[in-house]
This record gives sequence, C-alpha cells and structure tokens, in this order.
Amino acid sequence: MEITSTDLGLAARVQQLTKTYGTGESAVRALDGVTVGIRRGEFTAIMGPSGSGKSTLMHIMAGLDAPTGGRAWIGDTDITGLSDLELTILRRRRVGFVFQSFNLVPTLDALGNILLPFALDGREPSALERSRIDGLIASLGLGPRLTHRPHELSGGQQQRVAIARALATAPDLVFADEPTGNLDSRSGREVLALLAAASREHGQSIAMVTHDPVAAAYADRVLFLGDGRIVADKPAQTAEAISAHMLAAEEVPA
Amino acid sequence: MTAVTVAAPSRRMPAAVPVWLRERGMGATVLVAAISAAFGVLLISVTGFLGAWLKADPYIGGGETVAVVVGILSALLVGVAVYVAAIVTANTFATIVAGRTRRIALLRLIGASARSQRAEIARQGLVVGAIGGLVGLLGGTFAAWGLLAIGSRLLGIEVAYTVVQPLLLIPAAIVALTTWAAAWAGSRRVLSVTPLQALSGSVERTHEEVSATRGRTVVAIALFAVGAALLALGIVVGMISPFGVIVAFFGGLASFTGLTLGAVLVMPPLLRLTGRLFGRSVPARLAAENALRYPERSSRMAIGVVMGVALVTMFAVANESVKIVVAASGGGALPADLGQLLDTFAAVMMGLVAVSAVIAAVGLVNLLTIGIVQRRRELGLLRALGLTSAQVRRVVLFEAAHVTVTALVFGLALGVAYGWAAAQSLFGSIPIPPDWASPTFVPPGMPWVPLLVVVVATAVLTLVAAVTPTRLATRAAPVEALAE
Repeated sequence: MEITSTDLGLAARVQQLTKTYGTGESAVRALDGVTVGIRRGEFTAIMGPSGSGKSTLMHIMAGLDAPTGGRAWIGDTDITGLSDLELTILRRRRVGFVFQSFNLVPTLDALGNILLPFALDGREPSALERSRIDGLIASLGLGPRLTHRPHELSGGQQQRVAIARALATAPDLVFADEPTGNLDSRSGREVLALLAAASREHGQSIAMVTHDPVAAAYADRVLFLGDGRIVADKPAQTAEAISAHMLAAEEVPA
Repeated sequence: MTAVTVAAPSRRMPAAVPVWLRERGMGATVLVAAISAAFGVLLISVTGFLGAWLKADPYIGGGETVAVVVGILSALLVGVAVYVAAIVTANTFATIVAGRTRRIALLRLIGASARSQRAEIARQGLVVGAIGGLVGLLGGTFAAWGLLAIGSRLLGIEVAYTVVQPLLLIPAAIVALTTWAAAWAGSRRVLSVTPLQALSGSVERTHEEVSATRGRTVVAIALFAVGAALLALGIVVGMISPFGVIVAFFGGLASFTGLTLGAVLVMPPLLRLTGRLFGRSVPARLAAENALRYPERSSRMAIGVVMGVALVTMFAVANESVKIVVAASGGGALPADLGQLLDTFAAVMMGLVAVSAVIAAVGLVNLLTIGIVQRRRELGLLRALGLTSAQVRRVVLFEAAHVTVTALVFGLALGVAYGWAAAQSLFGSIPIPPDWASPTFVPPGMPWVPLLVVVVATAVLTLVAAVTPTRLATRAAPVEALAE
C-alpha cells in the first residue's frame, strides 16, 4: 500500500519529475528529478530565476503539461497518464488558476467569468457554493463590478475576478502564475494579501510561481528552484532574506 | 518592405514569397479573386460564342436581340459575383488588420504614419487581387476553351470563335482593382491604431462599436423603403403590363442594396435571435458572444451568404411561381415543353448565381478560421479552466452555424419574396389560352427540391466551414497558447 498525499497532508505532490524539451544535442532539461509536496492549507511560493523550471513545474502539477518522467498527484489522484479529457475535467473541478495576464474571457462579464468553472461543468452552483461565491464577491469588493466586461475593469480588478473564479469551486489547489506581474505595486500588494487571506482564513492551498521576492514574502513557505532542481525549501521569509538567498544562489558557480 | 522586418519568417515556404503574402487570409483572397475573374472570363467566352453562333445561323430569328439579352444577363451575373467578392475581401482585410494591430502599433511607435500603413495594406490588396485575377484569367480561359470545344462537338455545331482575346483581360483587371479598393475599405481601422497599443498588454475590447454612420443608416433605410415600395408597385403594374417586372427589378436592386448597406443594423439582432436557439450551455454562449463580438465582420460575413441563398432561391421560386401564374391564367395544366424550358433556364441561372454563393462560402470559411487563430490565447485559457476539446469543437460549430442558419433563413425569406415578385410582375397581366384570364394573382410557388438543396448545401457549408478552425483550435496545447 502506497502512502497517499492525504496521509502526508499534501494537496499535490510530484516525484522524481523530469521534463526535457527537444532531443539529442539540443535537448534542454527543464526539470531534473524534482520531488516535492505542496502542503494542504498553505500558501507556497515557488521562486527561481527565468529558466529555472518553475513554470514548467507548475504546468505539470496543474495538469497542463505532461512530464517526460516521474509522477504527479493532485490530492490522491495520479495525474500522469490521465487522458486529455480526464485532465480537463480535473482542472475544471479540482484546480484553480490565476495567470499573469489575460485571465478572463473577454466576452463574458465578471460574474460570468467567476461562474465559468460551474458553467463548463454544465451545472449551477449549489446553495452552499452560491453563498460561498457571494462571500468571495463581497470580500473581494467585486459587487458593483459583476456586470462589467474585462475591458471595463482595471488590471487589479481583473486579477480579483480571476481570484474569485479560482476560489469559487474550493479546489484542491490554486495555482497562481506571476499573479502580480502586470500590476502596479499597490494593486499587486492587494492581490497578494487576498491570496494570503484565502489560505489563512479558509485553508485554501495555493501554489504561486514568482520571481519577485516581495511577492514570495507573503507565502508560508518558499521553494527555490534552480536549473530544474529544488535548491532550497524554507519557511516564511522576509523579502530581504529571499533577495539575499537569490543573490547568493546567483554567485555560486554552476 | 517594413512588414518583412518585423514579422517572424515562417518555415517551409520559399523565401521569394513575401511574408505578408503567407499570412492567413491572403490565400483565400487570391482564391476569391480568381473565382470571380474566372467566372467573368468564362461568361464572356460563352456569351461571345453564343453570339457568334446565333449570328452565323441564318435560321434563328432575332439572334442579335438574344445575344444582347444574354450579354446583359452575363454582365449582371459577373457584377453580382464581383460585388460579393468585394464584400468578402473587405471583410478579410478588416480581420487581417485586427490581427496585425500590435505590429502596426509597433511600426507607428517607430514612426510610420497611419496613412502609409493603410496604403501599404491597400497595395497588398492590389498585389493579391492581381495574382488572383491572373490565376482566374488563365484558369477561366483554359476552362472556356475546353468547355466550348466539348460543347460544340456535343451539339454538333461549328462556329469560328477565338477564345483568347483582349476582352478577357477586362474581368481580371476589374477584379484586381476591386480587390485593391476592398482592401482599402477594409483597412479603415488602421487609422485608429495608436502607437501605445504596442506597449500595453491591454485587454481586447469585447464588442467593437458599430460604426454605422448616420448618413449610411439613412441611405440604407431610404433605399430599402423605396425598393420595397417599387417591388409592390411592380406587382401592381404587373397586373396590367409585363413592364411591371422592370419596376420590380429596380425595387429588388434598391431594397437589397439597402439591406447590404444596413447589414450592420439588420444582422446583429437576427444573429442574437439565432443564438437563443442554441441554448445556454457554455459552448453555445461563447459562440453567440463571439458572433456578435465584431458586429460588422459577422454582418458582412452573413450578408454574403444571404445574397447567395437569396439569389438561388429567387430563381427557383420565380420559376415555380411563373408556372403557377401561367397555369392559373390558362385555367389548365402548363404545357410540358414550356415547363421544360422554364426549368432549364432556372437551373442554368441557379448554377450561375451559385458561383456568388461559393465566393461567400470561401469568405465565411476564411473568416471563421482567422477568428479562431486570433483567439488562440483565449481558447488556451478556456482549455486550462476546463473546456474539453469536444466543447471547443462545439464552440466552433455553433459559431459557424450561427452565421449560416441566420443567413439561410433570411436569404430564403428574401429569395421567396423576390422570386414571387418577379414572376407576378412579369406574368400577372399576360392572358394565357385557353382561359385567357387576366389579371391573375397567385401565391408564391415553393419548389421544394431546390429549396431542400439550398438547405442541405448550407448545412454542408457549416460543417466544412468548421473543419479547419476546429483543427486549429483543438491542436494547440493550453500551455503554448497561454505563453503567447
């Protein structure tokens, strides 16, 4: 009997994950035997410079991309080897996404975007889910914006709609990919505080990919990636400590 | 050329072909230009041949008049085809411009003027039109040569007629020039691109504002009203004299021109109505919103198909209605040979106007495809959020069906009205033996077989139109599309 993610208190985990792009001489190893778990109820930041493999790791963990080797679980479900349809339905029901930009469907209004995961599933939210969504809308301050289309919203408002959508289904895990990359610093701080609050107050598991030490400082745990490997796994850090760590990592000869 | 330095060179094609010519949409424009040019060449040749034959044969009376009538008819048919082609091309270029916004903005940022950018696109239209015209000229000439050779052998006639003559250059030249003009008309939005759009990752506007100017709206409504009144007048006059058909003809022309000009006012509500039919599922809702995202684009895309459907239906209904009105006046069954003659004429005309329908269909397929390509990121996002590839396929199919169903219903209604008006205004006053009843007033004749063919052809078009966009839409992995 294999140990499950649940036994370990994990929302998602990967084991000996490798990802290689291209073949032969030009092959690039984006992930090189990564084994890591995302703890349930925690806000985890995945840090690393460009090309460290952090986006690839997130894509595979979220079922958006297939690994070259190794296995990945969302909750207790082994997602390596799932069909495209199974992965799609898994993402719809058990994963939430907040991307850097272009998060919302331009033709749907804010509420339509928030309810999209339910609509894709061909169902209305239950009464319980509806009250949860109403709570999210209120706490994110989106009430007056629900009938607005994305182009009528500011960048920060768009990200808040994306957060509401990501949290609406109470997924196993929310993936945030540079969620503040396109925002001014004030909106960025708001978005980070909202993500941290979702984790702290509602026990939402969140994995955030970022290269910004200030953003990572909001997390309960910081994973550092370099050249396709996990190079450090630290508890909550100040932005200064994270910067210092990143700078130190840069200076180590490869 | 500036565009070449900015655009990423694509693989496979030889370097001698400029990058912009390989852009999606240009090929379809060449095809549309080639079809209309070839059609023109073919009709000129066949008309010329018929004229020569009729003149050479001393036993056929009134040959000259027939030749003139056939000539006018051909000019009208080519005119309609070129007109539909121009709508399709203007639409294609408007869509290409939408896809090039960032590149145009970048060039504006570097210092290119909006006017020069627009002139550049119009020039590309001229080149594409010239290529299409040339291809059509060669293809049409070859087809005409083959057709006439086979035709004269089958009919056992010998006419001295040279296929290759300078006259054939006219349709090719007209097509090149209209493509140029259409590209110019379609690239109007270049002027509204600001250099800042190159820098900001701005969210795409959902619904482009409809830019129907007050002047155009007034002209469209006036033309339609006058046209409808003339159609009615034509029918009334037709009770007294066959000249009613001339009044009705101008009524038809004016009312349809009004509809085309005002397409952007008429089509979106109809498209919205069709959207309701598809239900409230996510694919249906997304497709419905997308069909109305660029009201002008969808309206013009639909109006081309409307025109094709209406013309084919018109000849079918006119034919059937003529039979009914003649039978009603005569008080008995239609003479068999007259019925045969009418059927043949109607079939030939339907075949000829179907060319315009084909051009409209090419435009539809092309625009749907570009529309999907330009929405790659959005589809990637939807796939990430849980839209299955089966749902993607449904979105695309619904999107195609949106336009075709709307255009089909509208086109059928118009075709029935026009066809009936034509028959009634031409034959309403003519007394036919043995009863010699006059005037006669009959309801429109509904020829079920041709109408069914139109419906089936539209259904096939919908499926065909969805093939390429579906392949493109389901091929991209969400990660790739999101990374763009």
